[in-house]
Amino acid sequence: MSILGLTFASPLILLGLITLPVIWWLLRLTPPRPKQEVFPPTQILEEIGQREETPAQSPWWLTLLRLLMAALVIAALAEPIWNEQDRSISGSGPVLVVVDNGWASGPDWEDRITTAEEILSQAADAARPAALILTTEGAKADLNTVRAEQLVAKVKAARPLPLPIDYTALAERIESAPVQFGSLVWLSSGLAHPGAEELLNSLAAADIPQTLYYAPDTQGLQILTQVNNAPEALVTRVERPDAAGATAGIATAFDQKGRSISSAEFAFATDETAAEIRFALPVELRNEITRITINGGNQAGAVQLLDERFRRRRVGLVSGGKADQAQPLLSPLYYISRALNPFSEVREARDANVAQAIPQLIEENVSTMVLADIGTLPDATLEQLEKWVASGGMLMRFAGPRLASATDDTLVPVELRRGGRSLGGTLTWGTPQPLTSFETNSPFDGIAVPEDVEVTRQVLAEPDIDLIEKTWASLADGTPLVTAAQRGQGWIVLFHVTADASWSNLPLSGVFVDMLRRIVAVSNGAIAADKTRSTSAAAGPVTGSQSEAETVSLPPLSMIDGFGSLTAPDSSVRPLQIGPQTEIAISAENPPGTYGTSDAFVAVNLFSEPANLALIDNANLPPNSQRGSYQAQSDFELKPWLLAAALLLLALDCLAVLWMAGALRRMPQMAASLLAIGLITAMPTERATAQESAALTDFEDSLRTRLAYVITGDAQLDRLSKKGLTGLTNFISSRTSLEPGEPVGVDISQDELAFYPLLYWPVTTMGSVPDEETMARVDAFMKSGGSVLFDTRDQLQGGFGSRRVSAETMRLREILLSLDIPPLEPVPDNHVLTRAFYLLNVFPGRYVDGKLWVETSESEEEETADRPTRQGDGVSSILITSNDLAGAWAIEADGSPSLPVVPPNPVQRTYAYRTGVNIVMYTLTGNYKSDQVHIPALLERLGQ
Amino acid sequence: MALTIGSSVESETGTGVLARSRERAALIPDLLIEAQRIANTVTNGWHGRRRRGTGDTFWQFRPYDQGESLSRVDWRRSARDDSVYVRDQEWEAAHTVWVWADSSPSMLYASETAQVSKQSRALVLALAMTEILAKSGERVGWPGVTNAKSSRVAAERIAAELMVANSEDHLAFPPLTQIRRRSELIVFSDFLEPLPETMARINNAAEQGIHGSLVHVIDPAEERFPYSGRTEFTDPESGNKLTFGRAETLADDYVSLFNARKSALAEQCKRLGWNYIIHHTDNLASTALVALHVRLSGEALS
Repeated sequence: MSILGLTFASPLILLGLITLPVIWWLLRLTPPRPKQEVFPPTQILEEIGQREETPAQSPWWLTLLRLLMAALVIAALAEPIWNEQDRSISGSGPVLVVVDNGWASGPDWEDRITTAEEILSQAADAARPAALILTTEGAKADLNTVRAEQLVAKVKAARPLPLPIDYTALAERIESAPVQFGSLVWLSSGLAHPGAEELLNSLAAADIPQTLYYAPDTQGLQILTQVNNAPEALVTRVERPDAAGATAGIATAFDQKGRSISSAEFAFATDETAAEIRFALPVELRNEITRITINGGNQAGAVQLLDERFRRRRVGLVSGGKADQAQPLLSPLYYISRALNPFSEVREARDANVAQAIPQLIEENVSTMVLADIGTLPDATLEQLEKWVASGGMLMRFAGPRLASATDDTLVPVELRRGGRSLGGTLTWGTPQPLTSFETNSPFDGIAVPEDVEVTRQVLAEPDIDLIEKTWASLADGTPLVTAAQRGQGWIVLFHVTADASWSNLPLSGVFVDMLRRIVAVSNGAIAADKTRSTSAAAGPVTGSQSEAETVSLPPLSMIDGFGSLTAPDSSVRPLQIGPQTEIAISAENPPGTYGTSDAFVAVNLFSEPANLALIDNANLPPNSQRGSYQAQSDFELKPWLLAAALLLLALDCLAVLWMAGALRRMPQMAASLLAIGLITAMPTERATAQESAALTDFEDSLRTRLAYVITGDAQLDRLSKKGLTGLTNFISSRTSLEPGEPVGVDISQDELAFYPLLYWPVTTMGSVPDEETMARVDAFMKSGGSVLFDTRDQLQGGFGSRRVSAETMRLREILLSLDIPPLEPVPDNHVLTRAFYLLNVFPGRYVDGKLWVETSESEEEETADRPTRQGDGVSSILITSNDLAGAWAIEADGSPSLPVVPPNPVQRTYAYRTGVNIVMYTLTGNYKSDQVHIPALLERLGQ
Repeated sequence: MALTIGSSVESETGTGVLARSRERAALIPDLLIEAQRIANTVTNGWHGRRRRGTGDTFWQFRPYDQGESLSRVDWRRSARDDSVYVRDQEWEAAHTVWVWADSSPSMLYASETAQVSKQSRALVLALAMTEILAKSGERVGWPGVTNAKSSRVAAERIAAELMVANSEDHLAFPPLTQIRRRSELIVFSDFLEPLPETMARINNAAEQGIHGSLVHVIDPAEERFPYSGRTEFTDPESGNKLTFGRAETLADDYVSLFNARKSALAEQCKRLGWNYIIHHTDNLASTALVALHVRLSGEALS
């Protein structure tokens, strides 16, 4: 039953509306009958009197409200469905039905077919001939019109195909249509596939009186486009055509047997059409993944198939050179690991001993082993290595001085001349040779030959009859740069140059990465199904006779159907022809899927590059076109809304009853509390301002070195600290190149400490010991390189380190209780502190006797006579004195000292300042000065 | 009318009530009326008062006091030792007790929380009291129905008379014509007449020298007023109807009024020296009997 687009699923229930008058009568005419109660003390009730008599009739508006509520419920139960869409065709003449059945048609296929059938039946009723085009047919589309009834079978038989759609051919077909169509119905997938513009133009040109354009809801359409097996995770790019569509989803990875390995969530940023899915799994598990599917994708684009190209192979690196961590650019393995890291898992040898390292790597199941400049190997290791190669390992070797000087090396693909060749040097007449060609039967085939690669030294191969066949890359003069030979099931590949940049600049060029990648892809006996190249490893070993690259034919293994599920290939699928320089074209004969054998297959994906999908812009449609969407999305069920409205009315009714009962008199209090809540939520603005100002201070602190003191809470002492550090800052600025900023007092429980190299902490008995959280901050400050200078200022009472324990020292012990303090010692004579800027042997402040305590230097044995200064890295994170340094440094505004020194000796104050300079320099430069003491010896050695 | 809280019930017949009242009475120990109230002389009863007085039964020997009549000395006992003893008889006296239960239509009411109607409970209490008193030898009557007679079967007699005399005239208070001074009157009623009238009657009875005990039989619904919603109240006596939209709003006012009535009655009784006992029909009948027993035997006083 349909009235004005309103359809009722159960129209009979509407008969219930007849009961409305009855309800009205019940509600309005007969007030609720009172309960009849016999009650002997009724007389007492009479004394209370007649009051609060409920009106016999409820107010008219309440009755109306309740009637409306009943009517809404009845209407909702009749399940009304609002459907404003006019899906009928009009006019006369043949009807052209275009059905998109490309990769994106899976999710709404049923609705699409239903719509198509409906259109066709309408055409049949109107006795209009029709033509049906499935967009995957392309140029083969049949535009001859037949009776519409005949096409229903074709529509029913149509399946969504996992194929990309190109509208161009279709557009041409429509332009050259044999008949003038009266109506066009385009059941699209909503996506602007290639050629959409042409199609729209041709539709406009065809001048069809009526155009019905259907597009599905593309909000949930998400596709997987690019898979990259990154070092940490398998990263898949996911795209959506609709920037306002669904923002999140879950993708699942499956292994070859269809078992789910892992699921990952992804989310699109607002207005972004691309996102990443990360499968952070161990490499072994990641290599098991053969298929990634978006859950609920239901279309071919939501599936990516993975083959050998996406596996991360484990590569072991062994170097003959000394590994110097300090100079990584000189390490032969640096370039290799940098080149291999993006697509394989690099394992460097943990053991410098080759005899240990190689078995370890074999143990770790590396598929490729790189030996950089390794000459001779121990026999046992050699045997292991040979066995490993024979069983399928890929041994990649790089030349170098050791390899060049080695004799009887069996693990090389070609016989080598002893000694290397040097080109372009002062003693040679030859010029550096460029790389000229990659052999066509090598894995390098297809890599663009770079022009800037030059080789200055190389090891030479002995001329041999099969040298040409074993050569993968050669130089301009024909000498091989890369040679390879098969041993058993494995390979030995030799680069005739070093892995670092000393012999050639090959490791610096981008081509090096491609070459290594190809070589690693060959390993494990897998086929390198790179787009441009198929090595024959899948079809059989490379032999000399196969110098001409052949086209390999791979049988279909499994297919993706239009709904994104993996199926067995049907009879229409042809073997995939992979040859050199051939693009894999996805067609009806070669749909997306896997080709080859289950051991070695090539995955053909719908999208292997970013797809950049777009929606068909409605504005581009022919002006007279009507837009519609498929049934499932276009229907608007009114039932929940009607029920919600009824509930709302029920709530209103309750409120009204409450109001009539006077229960809402307390409303003003509620309003007040609401207001209070509003005020509370408005509060945080002030705190935000405070944070901003803190950030501003931090910003200034980070720009300028400043001396800092701890605010102890004793106002007099804090003033003295500030004055003292000001005096020291002035002294440092005038005597050294360091110009510190104004000293700053820090609250160690709150302020960020990381900006200050040195924290002056006068110990006072006032106040309380800082709590554990604060001390944890101080601890972190000290461990991350800061130094704290504690000053107990109690030298007159005995001082730190003496037998007598003053109150300040006690307090210091309490403070340090929760800190991780290393062993301390008084500054030894050869400590850096004694010569960081001035040469000092005492560290006086206001008092002269106290010692300065620092961390014990770790290397006791180096304390020998011939080393004038202690070595030892790092800066003591804790310095303790009892001499009241700040008291000696403190100056008034006019520059005069604030406090007298004890004893009153002006020289002592100068030394106090020098002590401060040395401490600051020490904390800033560390052991830098300890090297300076060698200068006389160095000068003497130079003879000057 | 299953949905209503309270309802009118049929009037209880004498026999059924009698059987139940016997059960109640069996639980109560022999009732001894406090002798002080009956003052000087009434008819000697056969039952001792457990104290010294006129009677036939030996009570005690006690030492002779100065000034006592020599004729009272029991010489035989005195001859046994050096002291002079007086022989005391136990005081034997009977008391006239009038028992009366209200039979007005307002008593024919039982709410859902009560076990029985007020009338039923009042009759049971009255007959049980009769049984107890009769067993103790008191002379028990029902004003307007029977005279006060001493009989072991007084309860049966009264019950039989009540069946016959169950007339239409519903008295609000027992007729006082038969009752003489110093008699005991026990009234079981709901006292729902207008309060001044009730007060006047009580005062009148007290002026005639009657000592009374009022047992106020209350249905729990009357006291708690558990009604809510739109309710029409019917007075079973006058047939007046009152309709209230929201009965629950009356509860507070009603309960305070009702309690005021109770306390006014209690106050009046206390002033006259009468007993006032409140009994709810959802409680056991024996609780009221015990309370009454305690008051009448004077245990609470002495």
